[in-house]
Amino acid sequence: MPAKKPAKWDREVDVVVLGTGGAALVAAITAHDQGSKVIVLEKTHQIGGTTAFSGGIPWIPMNRYMKEAGIEDSRENALKYIRRVTGDKVPDPKLLEVYVDNAYKMIDYLHDNTPLRFKVPENYPEYYGYFEGTTTGRSIDPLPYDMNEIGEYGALIRNNPTFPPLTLEEGGAKGGIDFGKVAERMENNIVTMGRSLTASLVKGCLDRGIEIVMETPGTELVLSDEGDVIGIVAEHNGEKQYIATSKGVILGSGGFEWNKELVKTFLKGAITHPLSPWGNEGDGLIMAMEAGAALGNMSEAWWYPAYQDPTFEYEDRVMNQLGGSGRFGPNSIIVNGKGKRFVHEGTTYNDLPKAFHHYDPVAVDWPNEKNNWMVFDQQLKDRTMIITMMPGEEAPEWVPQANSIKELAEKIGLDPEALEATVNRWNEQVEAGEDTDFRRGTTFFEGLQSGGGSAKNNLGKIEKGPFYAVPVYFGALGTNGGPRIDENGQVLNLRGGKIKGLYAAGNAAMGIFGESYLSAGGTIGPAMTFGYLAGLAIGKE
Amino acid sequence: MPAGTHTVVLPVGIEEIWNFVSEMNKWAPLVPGYIEHEIINENESTWSFKGDLGFMKKTVKLKVDITEWKEPTTVTFNLKGISDNFKGGGYFEAEVIDANTTKMTGNLDITAGGAMGPMVNTILKNFVPKTAEELTIAVAEKIKEEVTV
Repeated sequence: MPAKKPAKWDREVDVVVLGTGGAALVAAITAHDQGSKVIVLEKTHQIGGTTAFSGGIPWIPMNRYMKEAGIEDSRENALKYIRRVTGDKVPDPKLLEVYVDNAYKMIDYLHDNTPLRFKVPENYPEYYGYFEGTTTGRSIDPLPYDMNEIGEYGALIRNNPTFPPLTLEEGGAKGGIDFGKVAERMENNIVTMGRSLTASLVKGCLDRGIEIVMETPGTELVLSDEGDVIGIVAEHNGEKQYIATSKGVILGSGGFEWNKELVKTFLKGAITHPLSPWGNEGDGLIMAMEAGAALGNMSEAWWYPAYQDPTFEYEDRVMNQLGGSGRFGPNSIIVNGKGKRFVHEGTTYNDLPKAFHHYDPVAVDWPNEKNNWMVFDQQLKDRTMIITMMPGEEAPEWVPQANSIKELAEKIGLDPEALEATVNRWNEQVEAGEDTDFRRGTTFFEGLQSGGGSAKNNLGKIEKGPFYAVPVYFGALGTNGGPRIDENGQVLNLRGGKIKGLYAAGNAAMGIFGESYLSAGGTIGPAMTFGYLAGLAIGKE
Repeated sequence: MPAGTHTVVLPVGIEEIWNFVSEMNKWAPLVPGYIEHEIINENESTWSFKGDLGFMKKTVKLKVDITEWKEPTTVTFNLKGISDNFKGGGYFEAEVIDANTTKMTGNLDITAGGAMGPMVNTILKNFVPKTAEELTIAVAEKIKEEVTV
């Protein structure tokens, strides 16, 4: 329940920002620079949220770095691209224009006022790099950052077990990892990607004297009798603190992917294996709902097929992992619990999982919801890092393997005849040079650095044993729905009015791109931009 | 090569120390993160333990081969990863100070191989010395406890 104004406040500030991801830290910096006294409340023991875990890339049309690199862009082209990818599925079309008109300004602002710097990675096209309006250069890569610059705060920046300390261009997110360079950066405390982005923004906060309070979640908004947000209740070590906010609260506390009840209530499909760090339980969403917020885009998430190496734990939980590029093949397929292919395995990570939610009205069943597996052979294993398995090394005992497809099927609970028939069909199609079932080898994303997919690169027979299988789970980078926001990131109520003193950005707010993921940076770009806008606007209403 | 050595002085005779370290079943469970072990024969055993790498934990399975039982002073062993690509070794060594005082040293070295080796070894640089210290201290405390009973 929202709290009522206490007899006495424990603290009084102008702005409280919840969270320490990209949206929250940019909001804190901008609000401070507008003259507000700002404190940041971080729920967990680490700074950075999902942003620190991520590639740290924002997607920013018309950014300064692409200009410096001689790459042209325009408002018209950016909107063309966005509209083609998103269709007519966005919750508020005008916010697309707000985003395009302000994202680059946010980057300019941070360039001029913080240590955050980016580079355009070479040869990194957009995920739908064949649509009108596309260009390279909108996804920008944070430069490596020396953590010694932030002293003791360096140890608080959330570790990134997914990406080693290389930039996108150096191979942090692509194949071909230089582990020697990784080791050198680790020894010298130099970070990249999400950690670099986070650390640079933290430096921006520290330079301004913005207090970051750790292990102190916001739990309830304090509302006036008129329903305005006038403060927040925070909790530390079981003790409540009532913090007055003369201008308001900015929710940057992430999504709700770790809250099973909210996931079941809102999302079109399950997230059984979130890929974000634990802590994103919808705190901001719940508080906003209690304050009467309207909601938008609630059925959507930043979907991602997830994998696990059961021997790896992160914060005492088996870690859900991105899994690498094995699904692009060539010598692999993904099958459902019936042993059948059901999707083009190489589409974008946001698009592929949509097939998990498929309903078969003839069978009256959801055939792709249980027991999905990536099946591959020794050829792929010899060539590609799969989850944590390196080429040339023996597969660990947690990976089912067998000398025949039928034996493999028995090990993983699939019908042996069905799986063998599926693999045989795949091999026949490979032989014929075309996947007529799902058109593998024809999409741009499955060959992003090689001009697009091809039969040569993405179609290969599954024929050389041993044969292997790894489960494919319902993952997500975060949820993509939340309180409806306006062009300033201010939260709207159920009647379309504004909730005074309440703003939201990042995964704590309504996603503006509907069910689409534009390209690398399609979450962090809007997160930072609406954090920036909220910081500019708060207190001016 | 990531390695660590830790020395403790115990108020016990060397025989007590030898009685303890010569029985693998007594000190195996003291390995930080111990899950289980299985003795194949006098010299060979397999182990599983969960290594605490700071922000991550990794369950590993490895084979230990005792290369020398030198009563009453030394147990030396090699180890090799079964689940992961690493190898190494170590020893327990006891040195008489007097009839009731013995210096005990534990040593461990582990090196990761393969393409990820350079990165993993950077992590092991902290992990291995810490594990050597924790194991040596745990063995020492257990010996003292047993002697007191």
